[in-house]
Amino acid sequence: MKKLITKGFIFVLLLFTILGLISPIFVYKTQHMGKLKEGLYLSDDQYDVVLMGSSHMNGGVDPNVIWNQYGITSFNYATGGQPIDATYYLLKDVLKKHKNPVVVLDVFYLGMTNQYGERGLVSNALDNMKFSSNKLNAIWNCTPPEDRFLYLFPVLKYHFRWSSLEAKDFGFDYSSVYYNKGFVAGTEKYGKSISKWEDTENRTEIPAKSLEYLNKIIALSKEENFKLVLVNMPCDYSEPNQQDGWVDDCEALFNTVADFAESNKIPFLDLYDKAEEIGIDFANDMNNAGHLNLWGAYKISSYLGKYLKQNYNLTDYRDNSAYANWDEDYQYSQAASITKDDFGKDFC
Amino acid sequence: MSFVSFSFLILLFVTVVVYYLISPQYRWIWLLVISFFFYMCSSPVYVVFLLASILVTYFSGVLIGKVNHGSGSKTRKKAIAALSLVINIGVLITFKYLKFFSDLLSFAGINAIAGEYRFILPIGISFYTFQSLSYTLDVYRGDVEPEYHLGKYALFVSFFPTLISGPIQKSKDFLKKIDEVHSFDYDRVRRGILLMLWGYFEKMVVADRLGVLVNTVFNNPAQYHGLDSILAVLFYTFQIYCDFAGYSNISLGVAETLGFHLSANFQQPYFSKSIQEFWRRWHISLGTWFRDYLYFPLGGSRCSKLRHYLNLLIVFTVCGLWHGASLTFLFWGILHGFYQIVGLLLKPVKREVQDRLGFQNSSRGYTMLQTAATFVLVSFAWVFFRADTMENAFLMIGNMFQFDRSSLWDGSIFNLGLTQPEFIAAILGIFIVILVDILTTHLDLRNVLIGSNTMVRWTVYLAAVLILIIFGTYGSEYSAQSFIYFQF
Repeated sequence: MKKLITKGFIFVLLLFTILGLISPIFVYKTQHMGKLKEGLYLSDDQYDVVLMGSSHMNGGVDPNVIWNQYGITSFNYATGGQPIDATYYLLKDVLKKHKNPVVVLDVFYLGMTNQYGERGLVSNALDNMKFSSNKLNAIWNCTPPEDRFLYLFPVLKYHFRWSSLEAKDFGFDYSSVYYNKGFVAGTEKYGKSISKWEDTENRTEIPAKSLEYLNKIIALSKEENFKLVLVNMPCDYSEPNQQDGWVDDCEALFNTVADFAESNKIPFLDLYDKAEEIGIDFANDMNNAGHLNLWGAYKISSYLGKYLKQNYNLTDYRDNSAYANWDEDYQYSQAASITKDDFGKDFC
Repeated sequence: MSFVSFSFLILLFVTVVVYYLISPQYRWIWLLVISFFFYMCSSPVYVVFLLASILVTYFSGVLIGKVNHGSGSKTRKKAIAALSLVINIGVLITFKYLKFFSDLLSFAGINAIAGEYRFILPIGISFYTFQSLSYTLDVYRGDVEPEYHLGKYALFVSFFPTLISGPIQKSKDFLKKIDEVHSFDYDRVRRGILLMLWGYFEKMVVADRLGVLVNTVFNNPAQYHGLDSILAVLFYTFQIYCDFAGYSNISLGVAETLGFHLSANFQQPYFSKSIQEFWRRWHISLGTWFRDYLYFPLGGSRCSKLRHYLNLLIVFTVCGLWHGASLTFLFWGILHGFYQIVGLLLKPVKREVQDRLGFQNSSRGYTMLQTAATFVLVSFAWVFFRADTMENAFLMIGNMFQFDRSSLWDGSIFNLGLTQPEFIAAILGIFIVILVDILTTHLDLRNVLIGSNTMVRWTVYLAAVLILIIFGTYGSEYSAQSFIYFQF
């Protein structure tokens, strides 16, 4: 029996190794994969600001705009539907390479009341992290027990893709996402003027797991000595309010987040409340109910860049020749191409 | 708990390791505990019916045994056996057939009792009921001595590899195996695992993939014609084979890892040259059960021709109903009985034609013709087995003849739920199954593999598991498909 168990163990080890090696072939080659591989492992750039969170952040803040206007280096690590627990572990991977950055954290997903995020969305973040003890912890804590093995070897999740694999699955061209610095926004126009949500003084509790991980991120900021800024993006909250697995009253939640931030001496920028001040026009600056479009993101990025410049001791590298490639990268960015043709005088 | 799950593989690993580590005298206890745990994972409430079947047949066996040894009258023996039959079959009828018979009576204008009762069929009930009844009948006939050890008898009925969908074991074969000392045999465990791997391939790679196209067409038979309908019938013919043979191979493989060598349930059934032969090769354990406990007691073939034909019809009608309480299963069973009767009636005609045309029974061409004819007949009958209603079955058959030649090249067959690569994989899967069936008529492939060098063996093992992982039809992208025979 010892022989069987020993050989079985070797067999399983070999099998796991092969599964680990072939899994990346089967993972969807999305911009989320591109940006995380680029930002976490491929790029040699150092980022003074890292942008973390969900799709609201993904399409809400453009590092190229911040660079172009303030000379601050940043990267957008946000992925669609990224719950706060996944953000925590992703941030830990980011910090392995980028020491003491200013971490700008989108708080939208604090409103999630489900224990775990949607499989497809959590996969956006977890599937693209390299194998490490941090990834194991992420899988253990961010995914339901019956799914954990699937996250460990994503080929088990995506094996059905064997019949639709393309050349890019065997060698993803990361240059296609390089210039974005992690930012991708839509160019649709929402078309609806938001009916301004009535201000409320109500408070609602931050869901337990969200609070737990927000506290963990704060503890991490002290441990790793980085500055933390909480942000909430403009959004038509009447729609998220109707979602299952979400707090009933987002405005009340963000009031609680504001209290929490104040008591923990962490800045909280509720950009929803500042939308008018920033000049956000919902009909033209939102891609849809939940996400800013390219033009809205430009305005938000300008505002955030200015805020960061004024409140943190961040170096403007624009005159530093070592950062010349950032200027070049900007020329290929989404913002640059749009502003030239459509943006007009107001924002250039 | 399904055989196709991580939890089952983990349970099996623990079961095998502990089984060989503990003293042989306690192994039956371990297997009994695991068997009940396994059953309760799927059907915790209905374990009571399993227990009832065990207790009723156990005590009836003990009481009949006493009569066999001179204590009591033959009438008493008959009464005990009848009681066991009535209770067991009564439970089966209540759960499986009450609604069906009630509907039939309502159709005939008689208001039946079942009304709106709808019971969920306890998983495995058709299999364990037949297995435990075979014991009552064997003891009644004096073919086996009663098993006085309740625990070991309970293990005979509930042995987890065969509990849900067979193969149905015979008491005279299995009970003595419980008392055998199975010392750990590396090669035997390896052979068991290889058989399981093959079973998983048949189920996950072939059967479930074929099932995607089959479900598309059979769920909307009016929408499909010609090649689409023919493909669906052909695919279903292989789906049901790979599904059930796959299950049986996993079951036999699991038993083999524990030292229990059980008889095969399938023996290349689609190579049969007649329907009669098909039933000796298809679901052998059920065929044997019907032969021993229904066909022979009815008189078998040792009676008048007419009675022989009637016996065949009765057996296959019951066989049809055993598979499910619906007119489609009933018709399927009767059709197989009818095939056999026609086969017997045509025997003299066939001989006459053979003599006139000079065919040799053993000639390759004639054998192939017979095999092809049997395959077509069996496939045709499967239409009734798979269709939801008789109307749909006839619709499918009618639509098969509305052939549009353009469907051969216009790619429309790739719109039946399987993309082109998936379709090719399905066809390739069928060819692999046929190839292995051909090879296993001459070779013990497992021995060939075990006898090859380490490099070859390990490459095959790894490739086999990787094929299951990559090409298997499992996970959220595919709707989970349970084994077809679970419903029976």
